[in-house]
Amino acid sequence: MSLKEFTKELNGRNGKVEGELIKTVFYSLLTGLGLLAILYYFKFRFIESFLSEEGFFLFFAVLSYSLIIPTIRQVRAYREFACMSGMMIGMTTGMIVGFMGGFYLGATNGMFVGSVFGMAVGILIGTWMGKCCGIMGFLEGMMAGFMGGLMGAMTAVMMLNDNLKAATVVIFIISSAILFSLNYMIYKETKDNETERQLREDHFWTLALSLVLTAITAGIMVFGPRSLLFGG
Amino acid sequence: MKNTTILVMMVLVISLVGGFILIKGNNVNGNVVSGTEIPPTTQQGQIQKVVLSQDGYNYRDSVAEAGKPIEISADSSVGGCLRSVVFDIEGKKYSKYLKTPGETLELPALSKGTYAFSCSMGMGYGKLIVK
Repeated sequence: MSLKEFTKELNGRNGKVEGELIKTVFYSLLTGLGLLAILYYFKFRFIESFLSEEGFFLFFAVLSYSLIIPTIRQVRAYREFACMSGMMIGMTTGMIVGFMGGFYLGATNGMFVGSVFGMAVGILIGTWMGKCCGIMGFLEGMMAGFMGGLMGAMTAVMMLNDNLKAATVVIFIISSAILFSLNYMIYKETKDNETERQLREDHFWTLALSLVLTAITAGIMVFGPRSLLFGG
Repeated sequence: MKNTTILVMMVLVISLVGGFILIKGNNVNGNVVSGTEIPPTTQQGQIQKVVLSQDGYNYRDSVAEAGKPIEISADSSVGGCLRSVVFDIEGKKYSKYLKTPGETLELPALSKGTYAFSCSMGMGYGKLIVK
């Protein structure tokens, strides 16, 4: 059964990209949390109620990025996919990145900032990942990022008064399951089509993306504009 | 490094940071705190207190007196985005997220008329009738 093989492959040391996924999650997590720790020590700890408001959502944002970045690494490793798979990749990454980004910022800064941020990162990463199969995946990534960004921010604002933090945990778990399934789908597709790994790279992009995404999210969350609802 | 070791380390790091945020963050969440019931639309001194309540998906109509500043609050029947009230009075926006029944939004003295207001998302509507 290929799911069993996939989980075995996660521990593999045969040069396949799946064997590097757990390490990528770890590096991304350390980078994001490390940056947060530095920012907290020098700046954020002086902000009243930072930990109960922005801190909670920033923590989950870092966790989410550490799950998205391995997927980016996996897609980049194979470079090209069939149309159906590429569309699925563009749609899933665009939707999850847009939704999560929009949700976290929507919960702290309001609908406008959340939507704009969610759409920006969702469309950017969705199109980047989706172009592995050409224009259809590109378009799918763009549409999913657009929809996910708006949906994420809207969900957060609508749940402000109804167990938002519990919802954050539930949404994170579901998104993680979706991303894990996407990793498995990519593995299965490449195995069935006997696609060889095209790109071998170090962890520069893992660290750079983690740093940039965490820094931008933290910056906008703490210093960015807020809607009327959040005292802006 | 073995993947099992990496996984154990990840769980440790996440638990440590998550625990720190939860404990230091005082477990404050965004839920409505049900406080003591505030009596419906009342007047006190020069400032009028108007308590909003929910009627289905909208606000129940409220009544106030003309020429006196108004203090708006929302009782515990008001939920979701309806707790964030937005008034647009003569082009000026008055808005506040009334997280608890004790929080208030101040409005200036109004002249006679009917003033429509909504929640911040424009999903629920209500009327403030000033007599």
